Amino acid sequence: MTDLLFLAFAAVTIGAAILAIEARDLVYGAAALGIAFLGVAGLFFLLDAAYVGWFQIAVYIGAVVVLILFTVMLVGPKMGETPLGLKRVSLLAAILVSLLLGMTGALANATAFPGQDSCGSGCDLSMFSTSLLKNYGVHLEFMSLVMAAAVIGALALSKTDRGQ
Amino acid sequence: MITSPLFLQIVLFPGLTSIAIIGALLGWLERKVTARVQLRIGPLYASPAGGILQMFADLIKLAFKELFVPENSDAFFFIMAPTTGLVLGAALVGLIPFAPGLQIANIEVGLPAFLAIITLSPTLILLAGWSANSKFPFIGGLRALFQQTAYEIPLWLSALGVIMMAGTMNLAQIVAAQSTGWFIIPQALGAFIFLVTSVAEMERLPFDLPEAESEIMMGWQAEYPGVLFLAAQGPGFVKLYAFSALFTTIFLGGFLGPSFLPPLFWMLSKTLIVIVLIMLLRSTFPRVRLDQLLRAGWTTLLTLAIINIGITYLLVVGLPTL
Repeated sequence: MTDLLFLAFAAVTIGAAILAIEARDLVYGAAALGIAFLGVAGLFFLLDAAYVGWFQIAVYIGAVVVLILFTVMLVGPKMGETPLGLKRVSLLAAILVSLLLGMTGALANATAFPGQDSCGSGCDLSMFSTSLLKNYGVHLEFMSLVMAAAVIGALALSKTDRGQ
Repeated sequence: MITSPLFLQIVLFPGLTSIAIIGALLGWLERKVTARVQLRIGPLYASPAGGILQMFADLIKLAFKELFVPENSDAFFFIMAPTTGLVLGAALVGLIPFAPGLQIANIEVGLPAFLAIITLSPTLILLAGWSANSKFPFIGGLRALFQQTAYEIPLWLSALGVIMMAGTMNLAQIVAAQSTGWFIIPQALGAFIFLVTSVAEMERLPFDLPEAESEIMMGWQAEYPGVLFLAAQGPGFVKLYAFSALFTTIFLGGFLGPSFLPPLFWMLSKTLIVIVLIMLLRSTFPRVRLDQLLRAGWTTLLTLAIINIGITYLLVVGLPTL
């Protein structure tokens, strides 16, 4: 049952993430991003991390997606705009993204930053907060980096139209 | 299966059937209370007594209206947004403990779960306003976005005070923690902030800018026909019910009360008092302007919420440890 749910959530996450990039209408793209975040929240629920799951919903769908939607509606791009060509910037972005992915992979490997006590199903809130800030501090900072990237991305999106 | 307690709770009480009936009755109560405050009579005819069936009559009328999607609108989001809002509103009620054991989802993180579901509503309202492809709905959607995202932060922070007092996020345990005294006394400031921000989250007067009948003629709901209008209006009353029940649960001791009457009675009567209080706010205060609203949210309420957390810290941990 858990495996089936995992597959379902993973399929929803990946499918919606692909749709978020490929959708011709940016509003649909942003909405698909929200569904991808919901899928990730589902994965957190499967890992017995309901607290993280609910915050995933509150922060990512409640704040980040709404920010992106607002920016898209404010800037108002034409439907079916041609995608940007391959530029030097995309190469730089690709290198940065792969670096970030590599680092995240290294962090996901438990040996890179060993934690003393993992917060299992019998873990209460104070134990969870302690382990989050003590053992997983670096991971937490990476998550906030993603948040910062989202805010900067939204700001950049709203700024490009000013000059025209 | 059909007679299992959880199934009955989901279908009858506190689940779907009761939510629909209470939502409709709240519509009647609101019109009656507002009318009394304004020295009018209010709904009168559609019933055996006091126009109590007025909302059911309205419901039937709306259900038989023609259902259409405006030209050049985005049909998917236009239909999806209000119906999803209705489902999410009903999901909120499922988290509330109405009596010992009478709770559909007794989860460890009940309070953040409730607030996380609430954060989805600006997204839906923005999509609803945008999809109608019309001027006033879009303005209403943007107003909802500004207002609700600004008031979410004080809302979460005021709930944090309760979590610090109780030491748990489980709503049933928060009620149990109030057996020695209701949290509204040590958390008076938090309760005030929670009430104000939740009225703003519900888009009710004096914070009903996204609807604002007299300015942008119902705002994001303007283009909704028939049953869809019902689906757009419904979450307002369901949220009123859910928020009042949550306020009762975390500040007014939930179902606790003298034992000569059942816990459910205490829970429902306290919830009703909170509901009437919120309705009186509606008929007493005029609508605020958007800039006043945002300034109050981002400066006054946010500061008060942080001060409240400081006070709570002193109450819980005490001065000597500082």
